[in-house]
Amino acid sequence: MSHHVERLLSTRSNVYRDGPNAETSKAAEEGGCGVTGFACTVPVGGKFIYEPSVQMQNRGNGKGGGIAASGLVPEQLGIDQATLDSHYLLQIALLDPNAHKEVERDHVLPYFDIATSTRQPHIADHRDIAGLDVRPPDIQRYAVRVKPDVLAKFASENGLSGMSERALEDEFVWRNSFKLNDAFYASLGEKRAFVLSHARDLLVFKMVGYAEQNVQYYQLEDFKAHVWIAHQRYPTKGRVWHPGGAHPFVGVNEALVHNGDFANYHSVSEYLRQRNIRQQFLTDTEVSVQLFDLWDRVYGYPLEYIIEALAPTTELDFDQLPPEKQRIYRQIQATHIHASPDGPWFFIIARSQKEQGRLQLLGITDTAMLRPQVFALSDSGEVQIGLICSEKQAIDATLRSLSREDPRFCATADKYWNARGGSSSDGGAFIFTVAGENGSKRLTCADKFGRPVKVEVAGVRCDVAHPESIPELTTDVEEWLRSGNSNAVFHHVVKHIDGWPAGALRDFCNRVLEAARTPKVMPTAIEAMTLLYDRRYDTGSKRRSTVLQVIDDTLCALFDACPTCGQPGEGQYRRIDWDSRHQILAPAPSERVLIIDAARFPPEGDECDACYQRSAFELGWRRFIVYRLRGQRFTGVGLGPATDGVRFDTYGSSGDYLASGMDGEEIFVHGNAQDQVGQIAKRGKLVIHGDVGQTFMYGAKGADVFVLGNAAGRPLINAVGRPRVVINGTCLDFLAESFMAGEPTEGGGFVILNGIEFDSKGQLVPLAAPYPGSNLFSLASGGAIYIRDPHRRVVEQQLNGGVFSAITDRDWRLIRTYLEENERHFGIKIDDLLTSEGRRLAPEQVYRKVHAVKLAVLAAATEKKS
Amino acid sequence: MTLPASASEAILTQDLEPTDSEGLGLSGHLQETVERTVRPVPDRYRNAMGKYQLRRSTDCQNCGNCAAICPEGVHVKPEGYAYVLRPKDHLCIGPSCAETSHYCVDECPKQALQLLRNPSVDCMGDPRWTADLILSTWHMAETGHAPRNLEHRHGASGGGFDRLRFDFPESPSPIDPDAVDTSIELNRRSDGRPSVRIDLPVYGGGMSFGSVSIHTIVGKARAAAAWNIFSCTGEGGFPDRLKPYDDHMITQVATGLFGVREDTIQRVRIVEFKYAQGAKPGLGGHLLGDKNTPAVARMREAVAGNALFSPFPFHSVYSVEDHKKHLDWIKQINPRTLVSVKVSTPTDVDMVAVGSYYAGAHIIHLDGSYGGTGAAPDIAKKNIAMPIEYAIAKVHKFLVAEGIRDSVTLIVSGGARTAHDVMKAIALGADGVVIGTAEMVALGCVRCACCESGRGCPRGIASTDPELMRLMTLDWATQRLINLLSAWREQMVDMLVRLGLPSVQALRGRSDLLYYLDDERAEP
Repeated sequence: MSHHVERLLSTRSNVYRDGPNAETSKAAEEGGCGVTGFACTVPVGGKFIYEPSVQMQNRGNGKGGGIAASGLVPEQLGIDQATLDSHYLLQIALLDPNAHKEVERDHVLPYFDIATSTRQPHIADHRDIAGLDVRPPDIQRYAVRVKPDVLAKFASENGLSGMSERALEDEFVWRNSFKLNDAFYASLGEKRAFVLSHARDLLVFKMVGYAEQNVQYYQLEDFKAHVWIAHQRYPTKGRVWHPGGAHPFVGVNEALVHNGDFANYHSVSEYLRQRNIRQQFLTDTEVSVQLFDLWDRVYGYPLEYIIEALAPTTELDFDQLPPEKQRIYRQIQATHIHASPDGPWFFIIARSQKEQGRLQLLGITDTAMLRPQVFALSDSGEVQIGLICSEKQAIDATLRSLSREDPRFCATADKYWNARGGSSSDGGAFIFTVAGENGSKRLTCADKFGRPVKVEVAGVRCDVAHPESIPELTTDVEEWLRSGNSNAVFHHVVKHIDGWPAGALRDFCNRVLEAARTPKVMPTAIEAMTLLYDRRYDTGSKRRSTVLQVIDDTLCALFDACPTCGQPGEGQYRRIDWDSRHQILAPAPSERVLIIDAARFPPEGDECDACYQRSAFELGWRRFIVYRLRGQRFTGVGLGPATDGVRFDTYGSSGDYLASGMDGEEIFVHGNAQDQVGQIAKRGKLVIHGDVGQTFMYGAKGADVFVLGNAAGRPLINAVGRPRVVINGTCLDFLAESFMAGEPTEGGGFVILNGIEFDSKGQLVPLAAPYPGSNLFSLASGGAIYIRDPHRRVVEQQLNGGVFSAITDRDWRLIRTYLEENERHFGIKIDDLLTSEGRRLAPEQVYRKVHAVKLAVLAAATEKKS
Repeated sequence: MTLPASASEAILTQDLEPTDSEGLGLSGHLQETVERTVRPVPDRYRNAMGKYQLRRSTDCQNCGNCAAICPEGVHVKPEGYAYVLRPKDHLCIGPSCAETSHYCVDECPKQALQLLRNPSVDCMGDPRWTADLILSTWHMAETGHAPRNLEHRHGASGGGFDRLRFDFPESPSPIDPDAVDTSIELNRRSDGRPSVRIDLPVYGGGMSFGSVSIHTIVGKARAAAAWNIFSCTGEGGFPDRLKPYDDHMITQVATGLFGVREDTIQRVRIVEFKYAQGAKPGLGGHLLGDKNTPAVARMREAVAGNALFSPFPFHSVYSVEDHKKHLDWIKQINPRTLVSVKVSTPTDVDMVAVGSYYAGAHIIHLDGSYGGTGAAPDIAKKNIAMPIEYAIAKVHKFLVAEGIRDSVTLIVSGGARTAHDVMKAIALGADGVVIGTAEMVALGCVRCACCESGRGCPRGIASTDPELMRLMTLDWATQRLINLLSAWREQMVDMLVRLGLPSVQALRGRSDLLYYLDDERAEP
């Protein structure tokens, strides 16, 4: 440790009040919470962090919400660009408005040159915001530099002369805020004031309320920034909450929000106290940002090492690192393991790095991946935006609201993905960096190791407002639709879209809409558009995300065109929405499908759309289309065991617990599915045209399931009976732990893992590793995994109890049936699956079987003896 | 003798068509009415064990004098018999009988009788479950009344409930014993879900099919139906034979999700989430391979002969907001059910309880550290969770301070062995108590702690072995449990009358009525 680091830490004692270095324990328990953030090449208003926050309201309980903004617009702060670049924005929450004078007298005026001092505007009466019971603090903001003589004195008194001016000034600002908090917050029964943030070009707002209420109360709707993060808190202790406990927490130039709960808070704070860092707010999040600040600003670690110290690389992933990295990581782990947060956590960090001329947004997940997390990247050519969130639907909500107001944004991202915590592949962390001059800023994305994440940026946007006529189009489309040939429509688009002008797809879709006015045509129109939405194909010169957007718009328009219950109209479709929800009638003889517009239904509770699905089921409806889903939960739940012949099709962002408990019904998810899908599923069919989230099919007993993409962590844990699952992508880790599903060839369950993905041309390509995780089929006692692994990349080490064996004819006959159905759902040909590097191989050369062996730890005592 | 698999299967699936029904349950299945009547039901072994032994020497002339004078029924000489039967030792009240006029030892004309302490009793039990407690539980299960001359109120552990006593006032307000109300309401949320009222502040804990036999499970369910209380499936599925008692069953949703389906959630009035057990917090569940017989494996849809693990924790719940979502899910599946959340007692149990309430739980079920059968490892049973009497008071006070005490039902378990323990728990702040071991003892458990090993319980209670489980019949099991609860209710009413309280609800949180045994205040 360098001389300065040691001095810097030891002289912090100067700011601590006398008295022993008290042991701390957590002041509050808090749970999962919801976190979100995005970084964008253009500054956008606070109203766009409002949308995803509202989406995730059910991840908080209104007892703490906060937001942070970085990459600000100087004019909106009443300062010039040079001041914004050089000055610290000292943002102080005044819980007691009368504390202002004292705070200023004791902690601001003596030390700082003040460029501006402003009071954050807010609406007159907080009670005008529904549900906001506690008056948020007044906020006083100063743009400041430390007075040169004060800084010189500080350096000499603390023996820090020789440190860079900025590093000194950062430390001074940090200590001054600590003292302020100590005097006006931590030491008092009655809290009076605390520092919200003191960074350069970064501001934090927080209150006892929901995150989005910060935007409303402090009137930040049009307050612009490049980077926004938000947090919904769910504290559970006590009746009195203070905004000080809400997230984000700050180091110096970063703000951190956290979703999770540490089991080793004591150990982490002990580690910090050994380095003379004390706590004031006593939450997991405070110590998290203290760790980050220590390793980043004080120790000067590269970001990669900071991430390694937080989320160590373990097991097979560690072995896969290059030897030089292993050497360094081993030392990092040996030194800092006690500070590595244990338990579920996911961090989103916004940091302003003025010296490097950049802004960053980081998402870091824990090694065990116990919290949900989704990353997304969108590049419209004009603007780029990177997003991190607990739930995909919050990402979609952000993009939707942005694209509504600013046509430069696309409503669908180009790429969505999950991080694999503590892994050798991505390190479990991704960093979005916004850099460059104003007006020509660029956004880049890289993983922990600095490897870039890219999206195909070429291509014409076809989500244009104005349709353009299509040169080659004859009346065929309508004929196809009338004759029920949805495939022809699909293939026509796939064949021609490359050559179409930008607005042609719109025109094509409008024609489909037009034709679908005839009720008989509607089913084929829906089918054709659904195919275009679900399938992966080459969109040629057109950007895929915009093609999807147009198709999605068209599907919504098709559904919207169906009559609501009680309206005049013919055909097999009836529709309900929030306004007409009480008018559901039993289906007339000709009516077969109930369409539910899920927008505006709450995600759970007695008024959620799933409740109306159930009442409709009781009235006799058997087929459902649910669209405009915005994370509404429990689709297909609660209909009970006698649901053969029931079918659901969901469009939009389907929610958690979809199909959990299904027993006979069929559910088709058009798009990605979320967390806790298919739990305890017993019978029926589930088809997911996308990825699926955490703990997929936990405790399932059966059902035939097809997933086009990946499953996140812990799929099929504790599954029994006969679940039969095809996953065409892969899983993060812990696939089929404690799997107990009998003998596959005798009616038991299994998982087929294909380990493939689609390239931008819609072609199948194998993943680098068919299964990257360190734990496959651990402690399983029944069932099997059939894994497509022609290069034998999965190794014994990844198994904990299972063994590899060659697949037999019997195995192949069994799984071929499922691969055939997989082909029907997704167009993934068995021939293609059996082809590797251009060579068609025999099934046993491509697929391997992992099955259970009797483990001594699991066996009956009587067997052990024999 | 090994029974063919089909025979053991028959025990499982054989559907008891209820002869007397109280209508359809939630599931639409006919519900059986079980009569709430005390009937003497003797020990199922020929010679029941007692605290004392009477030895009859060869000097006995079979005059029948002892049979004529003994009011306890120890000596019996049936009409027309030449001989007096072997003494029923377990009915003997012991040496204190010497003070009466019917002390057989003194009255025997030939001095042929000798009263001894039964040496087996000294080998039985432990300070928590003393031999007296085991014997008195047997006595209550047999007769429906509390025994005399057995310490049936508390054990001798020197801690926990054994250090607490009621301070009965000398002149309590007069209470009519017949008017005492021992019922409690389980839904206090006023959230539109139905009211569920039970007639005793007690119900049966979760024991899975697999951990115990089908007779044990169905017997518990029938006794629960008789007393209008509940029993719980545990985590081993919902055997068809429980269908006639749906209205008195709790479906447990535990971390392995064994046997949990929409169907089993929809048919009950209460669903219980088991997050942890006080006997083994953080350890999940574990059914050893030997007890996972083909019938058990079929019920759980798992592989027979393999140990079955329930993980810790729920893989889908790592936070309070996940927990709320989890509860919402169950409420979505069954719009009429109440939700109970069973947690162990860590040091921050108060926060856990409040978090559960805000997540939508109707019942918070705290499971303290004294409970657990043989299957929980000793190191866990004795060292992890907080003793329940601390947890009850801590949580009760916290809920009161939070202003939500009357919106949630606090149920506690973990070592409530007697009616006195139940009343102490209520005085400390609980609404009601869940029992487990006491029911097993009523069925003849001797606390040998071999529940998990080999084929399981030597007395056929905690065993799914087809041979062992036939050691008792369903009717016998049902009646033993009905009798036990009846004896407990008698004692509860008696205590309430002596305390001058009209109902168990009035006792809740009255820790002022308790005192702690220490150097300053010893037992009177």
